[in-house]
Amino acid sequence: MHFVPGDPISGNKAMSIEIRKNLEKKYGLDQPVLKQYLYFLGNMAQGDFGISFTQQNRSVNDIIESHFPVSAGLGILALIFATAGGVLWGTLAALYRGKVSDQLIMFGVILGISVPSFVFAALGQFLLTELNKYFGYTILPVAGWGSILHMLLPALVLGLGTMAFLTRLMRSSLLEVVNQDYIRTAKAKGLNSFRIFFAHELRNGILPVVTYLGPAIAFLTTGGFVVETVFAIPGLGRYFVQATQQLDYTVIMGLTVFYGAFLVGMVVLVDILYGFIDPRISLAKS
Amino acid sequence: MAEVVLEVQDLKVEFDTYGGVIKAVRGVSFNAYKGKTLAIVGESGCGKSVSVQAVMGLIPVPPGRVTSGIVKLRGNNILGLSHSEMNKVRGKEIGMIFQDPMTSLNPTMTVGKQITETLSVHEGIGRGREAKKRAIDLLEKVHIPEAANRVRHYPFQFSGGMRQRVMIAMAIACKPSILIADEPTTALDVTIQAQILHLLKDLQRENEMSLILITHDLGVVAQMADEVNVMYAGRIIEFGPVDDIYYRSQHPYTIGLRAAMPSSEEGAKRKLQPIEGSPPDLFHPPIGCGYFDRCPYAMKICESNEPEPFLVGNNHYSRCWLHHQRSQTKLADFIKQDTKIYKNNEIMS
Ligand SMILES: Nc1ncnc2c1ncn2[C@@H]1O[C@H](COP(=O)(O)OP(=O)(O)OP(=O)(O)O)[C@@H](O)[C@H]1O
Ligand SMILES: [Mg+2]
Repeated sequence: MHFVPGDPISGNKAMSIEIRKNLEKKYGLDQPVLKQYLYFLGNMAQGDFGISFTQQNRSVNDIIESHFPVSAGLGILALIFATAGGVLWGTLAALYRGKVSDQLIMFGVILGISVPSFVFAALGQFLLTELNKYFGYTILPVAGWGSILHMLLPALVLGLGTMAFLTRLMRSSLLEVVNQDYIRTAKAKGLNSFRIFFAHELRNGILPVVTYLGPAIAFLTTGGFVVETVFAIPGLGRYFVQATQQLDYTVIMGLTVFYGAFLVGMVVLVDILYGFIDPRISLAKS
Repeated sequence: MAEVVLEVQDLKVEFDTYGGVIKAVRGVSFNAYKGKTLAIVGESGCGKSVSVQAVMGLIPVPPGRVTSGIVKLRGNNILGLSHSEMNKVRGKEIGMIFQDPMTSLNPTMTVGKQITETLSVHEGIGRGREAKKRAIDLLEKVHIPEAANRVRHYPFQFSGGMRQRVMIAMAIACKPSILIADEPTTALDVTIQAQILHLLKDLQRENEMSLILITHDLGVVAQMADEVNVMYAGRIIEFGPVDDIYYRSQHPYTIGLRAAMPSSEEGAKRKLQPIEGSPPDLFHPPIGCGYFDRCPYAMKICESNEPEPFLVGNNHYSRCWLHHQRSQTKLADFIKQDTKIYKNNEIMS
């Protein structure tokens, strides 16, 4: 990071050598890089990511504390949309495989995976504005932050890509399960197709989706900065991008470490959850 | 003769595939009797599984299709019943177990639940204590030790032989009058095989079940069966009581099978004789006898004329032109060959 030309201080307008020296001293930037790094590590071990170089009197912890909940809320809502939608669409596509509805859904999946989220964001905003205009009152706010209503559209837009991916995953997984021997056994027992679906197919079919949930949570809560920008949401993603542009070392480092820890935490959480769904994975109890 | 529980007449099944239409079963008829075992033998791909799956209504449609036939369960046709009516037959009237116990149980459901599921659908016994007790009883019946503990376990915690026992427990939960076992021991090792067969025999005796046993293994047939269907290329080419099929087999294919079978008796020095060639292409089934290409006794008539079943003994039929009056000399020749095989076999006994 330090190899990138420039530094956090030079971003501001011209300043005299003295002021610059003083600032460097204040933030410890006059020290050798290795020393700075050791210092950073020491602080981090105590849970302190340091203070921002570019935002007056704000510590990185402070930034995380006040903006991460926003991103997390948005991400979790997006995840709910993505999972519910993915499971539902994937199931429908599998049930009607080869038919028109399957092909339509799979077309949607390709769109969802390949079209970037800012296009959906802009489209969504456009549609919503038109709708609001048409009905003459605000059904849903187009941008901004505050209530759950503000979250709905951005969360949907944010979750679309993941939903598309999960739809495809669910579909292929179900199609595999349907041909398994134990489904034939269930038929031979005289169960009706409704029961076979809910008791046998769904639970086995959903396993890959659950596996993907951990990375998906991390991706959705941390990767939303495009959506956050378009909808003017004060999430953490925005600060990350800003910090990178301004070479705000402590913020970049702090957020990277935080995101990493969060990803690991979520994957572990999902692994534990997985044990409840798939008995083969659960910890040896005996 | 015992009471007929299942009557299959002229069953035909086809599959649509990329290569064309496969005529997998081409007119199969047989009866299953109360308390008796009917074995169906024949080489891989001859249509054994498809026949019994058609009886159970388990042929996947598409690509499969039952094009003709009648399947009577105690006199009532069950072929073409609606799904919900058929669901009352499956698991209740006819139980079925499959070849591979490793994949035939749901990996994410306890075995207890998988057993009680059958009970709850057919007898309305839900989740409660009674269901659990029934599941334990059933596991005990198939000789699973510590059944009370085992009901809570998942299939991956069982060995192959135990899983097959669980499958059997599931299939007999509602005391079906017919049990179809599609190669129940093929995936198991020999000692376990013997135990499972023994168990099936016991259960059959207890419930007076009719057992339809599909197998490759003529040894198993000798041990278990009362009557035998020998299938070849989608047809039953010889049918008869087990002793007749063994000691007085009449169809060249059955004779070939027997010559290809090792015998366990000491001193048997006979060389095993494989049947040369391979079964006919079921995309274009032969007009005449299916065994024509491989048959050492084939005659001109066999190529384009399908033989009818000839009665060759008491309740013993063979679909072969050799049994026609006009091929007596050929038949004499053939019997001479046949006795040679027997002679070889007898040396050892
Ligand atoms: N779902 C299917 N789709 C297409 N063809 C099928 C299907 N099921 C069976 N067949 C065909 O039907 C024929 C008979 O198959 P079947 O499973 O009855 O053989 P089998 O006698 O049970 O053999 P095995 O001893 O190997 O189990 C085979 O040629 C097979 O290719
Ligand atoms: Mg088979």
